Amino acid sequence: MAHKRTDLIQGTLDLLILKTVAQGPIHGYGIAQRILVTSREILQVQQGSLYPALHRLQRKGLLKSEWKESGNGPMAKLYSLTPAGKKHFQEEMTQWQRYADAVALVLQS
Amino acid sequence: MDFPWKRAESELAREIAHHIHELTAEYVRQGYSPQEAARLAKREFGGYEQTKERCRDERSWAWLTGLRQDIVFGWRMMKRTPVVTMAAVLSLALAIGANTAILALMDVVLWRDLPVPNPQQLTNVNWRAHGFPKEIVNGGSGSMDREDGWEVADFFSYSGFQQMRQRLSGKASLAGFSFPDTVSVSFAGQASVAKQRSVSGNFLSTLQVRPELGRLLSDSDDAFAAQPAVVVSHRFWKSALGSSPSVVGRPIIIDNKPNTIAGVLDSRFAGLIPGDATDIYAPLHSSGLAQWFDNNRFWCIQLIARRMPGYAEIAMQPEIDAAFVSSWAAQPKKAADAPHILLSGGSRGLGFLSKNFRNPLLVLGGLVSFLLLIACINIANLLLSRAAAREKEVATRIALGCSRLRLARQFLTESVMLAVLGGFASTIVAYLTEGLLGQFLLFGHGESLPIHASLDLRVLGIVVATTTAALLLFGIFPSWRSSNLRNITGKGRQRWNSGRVLTLSQMAMSVVLVMCAVLFTRNLSAIQSGDPGFDRRNLILFDIRPGTSGYAKSKLQNFYFNLERQLAATPGVNNVGLCSIRPMNVGGWWEDLGLPGHNDIRGASINGVTPTYLSLYSGRLLAGRSIQWTDIVSGAKVALVSEDLAAKWGGNSVVGKRMTFTDGPPGQPKPEYEIIGIAPKIAPTSMKERPSAVWLPLDKESSGVTVAIRTSRTPAMVLPAVRKTLAGIDRNLPLVDVMTMEEQISQGLQRERMFATICSGFGILALVLSVVGLYGVIAYSTARRRGEIGIRMALGAMPKEVVTMIVREGMTVAVSGLLLGLPVIWFGSKYVEKELFQMKPLEPATILFSVGVLLAAALAAVMVPAWRASAIQPAQALRED
Repeated sequence: MAHKRTDLIQGTLDLLILKTVAQGPIHGYGIAQRILVTSREILQVQQGSLYPALHRLQRKGLLKSEWKESGNGPMAKLYSLTPAGKKHFQEEMTQWQRYADAVALVLQS
Repeated sequence: MDFPWKRAESELAREIAHHIHELTAEYVRQGYSPQEAARLAKREFGGYEQTKERCRDERSWAWLTGLRQDIVFGWRMMKRTPVVTMAAVLSLALAIGANTAILALMDVVLWRDLPVPNPQQLTNVNWRAHGFPKEIVNGGSGSMDREDGWEVADFFSYSGFQQMRQRLSGKASLAGFSFPDTVSVSFAGQASVAKQRSVSGNFLSTLQVRPELGRLLSDSDDAFAAQPAVVVSHRFWKSALGSSPSVVGRPIIIDNKPNTIAGVLDSRFAGLIPGDATDIYAPLHSSGLAQWFDNNRFWCIQLIARRMPGYAEIAMQPEIDAAFVSSWAAQPKKAADAPHILLSGGSRGLGFLSKNFRNPLLVLGGLVSFLLLIACINIANLLLSRAAAREKEVATRIALGCSRLRLARQFLTESVMLAVLGGFASTIVAYLTEGLLGQFLLFGHGESLPIHASLDLRVLGIVVATTTAALLLFGIFPSWRSSNLRNITGKGRQRWNSGRVLTLSQMAMSVVLVMCAVLFTRNLSAIQSGDPGFDRRNLILFDIRPGTSGYAKSKLQNFYFNLERQLAATPGVNNVGLCSIRPMNVGGWWEDLGLPGHNDIRGASINGVTPTYLSLYSGRLLAGRSIQWTDIVSGAKVALVSEDLAAKWGGNSVVGKRMTFTDGPPGQPKPEYEIIGIAPKIAPTSMKERPSAVWLPLDKESSGVTVAIRTSRTPAMVLPAVRKTLAGIDRNLPLVDVMTMEEQISQGLQRERMFATICSGFGILALVLSVVGLYGVIAYSTARRRGEIGIRMALGAMPKEVVTMIVREGMTVAVSGLLLGLPVIWFGSKYVEKELFQMKPLEPATILFSVGVLLAAALAAVMVPAWRASAIQPAQALRED
């Protein structure tokens, strides 16, 4: 593949996961795939970071999980946002937006 | 059972399996064969175990599971080498236990407050002067010490006490007391011996001791006309009065005088100093001191004050001093040298115990902390080498995603486990050593203080603190080091690796401990083997006190004469003598002597004796005649003087002259004695000093005497006959403190013996630990160098050269350690010197012997691995690597 992939900025992985999960219950592989596809194959999430991050978010009470059949495959662990997770996601989202706008302003000046 | 961690494990595995399954499916969709797809999926996923491990680290109870694993793992590691583990736990237990025991003793002796309310309000009252102010003081009982060029004394006249007490009234309460006396007690038909302290009426209420039964003494008890009443300690109430709740108001006979028990004290109050053995508190006016109360040159009462809240010591000093100065009958010639009041904090009671034992306790405390360090270093070395043996395992674990923190924690858990085991075992050691150490605190009269810092919460707290300190010392460094992969894999052969540096410092501390052991053992044997001037074998000593057991004074003279005659006729008895001061009992009766035309002699030892007494010890007199029974009967003022005393006063010409005791009873002419003869010199009071001696005729009205018997056979064989003779004279007269002269002498050396024993124990332990440490380090490094040694030998090195190489390496560590220890010894010697008798701390013989012992032990420890290395077969060693 000839695409140039960018490493994730520290701390943005959590936000990307929360955003992806906010769209409905989804398993780990699905999260990685969706981030890859949505970012036009620029952002590739390493599994080595994905699963620890998922487990960390779950421990913090932002994500919940349940085992369900997914499509045609075997049972999968599906993650979804808890109410606390939704709130946290909104806050992080706003913060990120402000941050990105600010960086854009400086770079375009 | 479905443990949460087991469920989480299986879920984690399934979740990751699902991920790989999806990846595989993706590759299949892209057109790969299923096998190829599975291979690619696995490759893309990457470190399977690392990911799992990192997920595990994210669990909220991860540390708990980890801990369980660590403990199980640690236990398995310890079980694999049970002997090493046991040795580690044992050495740690001994070291922590000894530290705890010393700390507990220091706590009791140096730091603990009296168990009374608001102890910080208590103040010790002393006075200090330049020289002894003879014009105003003619002291009775009390003690005097030299401190920073001052004489500090604790005795006051009764009238001075009263004037100071009045001056302070409303601001502080001043109470007086005396030294404890030994008294004969009879209660409900049971006779016993007890310690009695005479105290002013307000003494117990000043201390605010609570009575458990009855009441305290009051000022109305402390008067000549009062009904005689006493208060007893809780311990005495339990041991001698049978814990009877109805003792209050009952009669008790003390030294043949009727008394009433007014109360029993609180069980927590053990007296004015730790281990104060006072059983009975009686009013001052009922004591023998009362006859001197109207003589204000006879100073015999000690004082303690309780200040009211807000009345500081600094405000109290000028007031009490003014009252003190105005209470004197005369003024000293030089005002600058006159006594003035010296106050000192009294929250811990009387200060002399901490004064006497601070230094020995500090010395012992320093030694045991070295011991703990040595034990800790051994364990650190053990953990280091164990970690090195686990290099491959550690590398594997790191490769599998184990975080460094997790790894360090595992190593730390092992040291914590060792520390916990050691800590538990140490409480037993502490309990055992403490009883032993308690004996080492002795009063001059050979009575051990009943000090027992029982294993209470404070002591347990000390154990926990010491264990934690030990844990930090020996746990952190190896766990940090071993968890660092770089340290493990990239390690070349360093000349001074951490193991060697640790062993070196261990050697440095061992040389200090071994030297102390040698030093105190030599000290003890030097004192013991000294010549007291007489044959110490086959001598029996015991006390007998007819005067306090119902004999009238007028009958005592006949009683003693008869006693001596009948004992002399007992089979197995060669010779019998009586004296008023027990020989070799450290304390005694001291006087300053004067002879016109000659210098005064200070501190001569005086004893009253019967005619045969001196012949028990030595042969004929050197000049003059001996004491006769007629001298005793007539109360003649005659004296025998020791050889060395006579030599100072002009030799044989001294016979016939009249000497005086320059400090006689106040207000009376100085006692004069005609010197009638010169006796050979013997040690009268202790193996540690040889004062001049004066022998007077025994006081015929002395209420008690010490009987000394020279036997023809071993004392144990003669003693039954002696007891039988005494029973024939008076069945109800108890023999007190029966012992042989050898036992009496060794009792006086108990402190030296304890020091020698404890230090030898520490020294041997330190030697064993550090030699084991050295062996371990050298054996380990030679084992790692098998390949190198194999090459050397293949290239023609002789076995002898290999031995030399390794021995040189090991001995470099040992010798550097010894050299490092020498400054410590030099620095510590000034503390040790105070505990020594006639011996300097840094004698060549002591240093050479200790260093020699250590070097020999180190050589033995190094030779074993050296020989083993020299037996290496080059071909085999090379094949192994």
